[in-house]
Amino acid sequence: MEKYFDSSYLFQAIPQLLPYLPITLGITALAVVLGLLLGLVLAFMKLSKAKWAQQVANGYTTIMRCTPSIVLLFLIYYGVPAIADGLFGINLHDVPSAVFVVTTFTLQFAAMMSEVIRASILAVPKGQYEAGVSVGLTPVQAYKRIVFPQALRFALPNMANGIISVLQEGALAYTIGFIDMVGKANLIIANNYGTHTLEIFIVLALIYWILTIGIDKTFQWIERRLHVGKGVA
Amino acid sequence: MDIAFFKQALGIAFSGVPLTLLVTVVTLIIALPVGFFLTLVRMKRIPVIHQLIGIYLSFIRGTPVIIQIFVLYNSIPLLIAGVAKGKFDVYAIHPIWYAFVIFSFGMAAIVAEIVRGALQTVDKGQLEAAYSVGLTVPQAYRRIILPQMLTAALPNLCTATVNLVKATSLGYAIALPEITLRTKVAANAGYHYVEAYTAIFIVYLLICLLIEYAFHKTEQRVRRYQGGIAC
Repeated sequence: MEKYFDSSYLFQAIPQLLPYLPITLGITALAVVLGLLLGLVLAFMKLSKAKWAQQVANGYTTIMRCTPSIVLLFLIYYGVPAIADGLFGINLHDVPSAVFVVTTFTLQFAAMMSEVIRASILAVPKGQYEAGVSVGLTPVQAYKRIVFPQALRFALPNMANGIISVLQEGALAYTIGFIDMVGKANLIIANNYGTHTLEIFIVLALIYWILTIGIDKTFQWIERRLHVGKGVA
Repeated sequence: MDIAFFKQALGIAFSGVPLTLLVTVVTLIIALPVGFFLTLVRMKRIPVIHQLIGIYLSFIRGTPVIIQIFVLYNSIPLLIAGVAKGKFDVYAIHPIWYAFVIFSFGMAAIVAEIVRGALQTVDKGQLEAAYSVGLTVPQAYRRIILPQMLTAALPNLCTATVNLVKATSLGYAIALPEITLRTKVAANAGYHYVEAYTAIFIVYLLICLLIEYAFHKTEQRVRRYQGGIAC
């Protein structure tokens, strides 16, 4: 009888899965970049004096925090085309599933980042901004040159956590038929008639584990670099 | 939008709430003491054990929950079959037992990280003072350290609990009939996916808001020891 656990499948799976690594990373990178932009807008809404802007941004964050990724993913995958079709008569049913995956994780990452950005801007003493404006910088310049570089230092550890979370929640993209690493893993298992699942998933777990450690180490390195700059000044 | 089905889906989604909450509560009951104990053991820095716990914590942080579920769900039956040697039918185990084990496995690591962070906020002198007046180790932790570290741990525990509830939505992978799976199955018949997922979304939102409210109230209670006029 064939062995239930066969380590040769481990080594066969690696070259089959690795070509799909750029897809997983690409989706994560897109969601991170777009999510940062949206998160920045939300953070400024939370910091603004307008009550409605604060309420909208806070409500958005609460809703995102409370929705499981898989529910949000399906809600957008089925809901957005239905709304576009029903209200505007636009046919979105042929849009590639990658668009829905990126949308979902952008919305989720933006909510996380809005809190991180808000907290780190508040962590910069107000005098820094006032000093910038007092020497004749415009508010935009003062934010760009004085506040943001300092806020970045506070934001980095939480940003690393956020990126890791997007990378890992992205593993659910296979549920709407998107073929990334996890999607490919499921295809391999289907080709094996549902056997040797454990070996394939162990390989996947190892790849994700290495990626996470890589992100952690990169951010620790950046943080150290920024601290050196601070010490010299 | 099919309003009639939406109402039906809402009912089905709510019927999954007890199971979701049961898994959450049992997981917390297992993971809280285990996570606390892991941190205490890790602080002793016993050579091999220290590294093993470190690897375990890193693994949980490094892998997506769904992959953890897949790996454990496929390996636990192997382990049981190996130990029981055919005297026990591994396929007869109800998925809820897998859910308890798998989610506790992940949650214990998260609790351990939270406890470590919270213990760092308590001054070392507090423990020394407790020992100096003759308290035993369990007494010192229960009466002196735990009440103080709770204020730092509660906000993170709230996030972790909410994340745990969200993670149970992956129960479909182990055929656990919780909120998401029940409603999804009901939606399959008529392709009412938008209605079904909106219903699921509302139920999770309510659970999550209730949990946050409960933690907020607990935090206020815990903080009253911190003195001050406003508290």
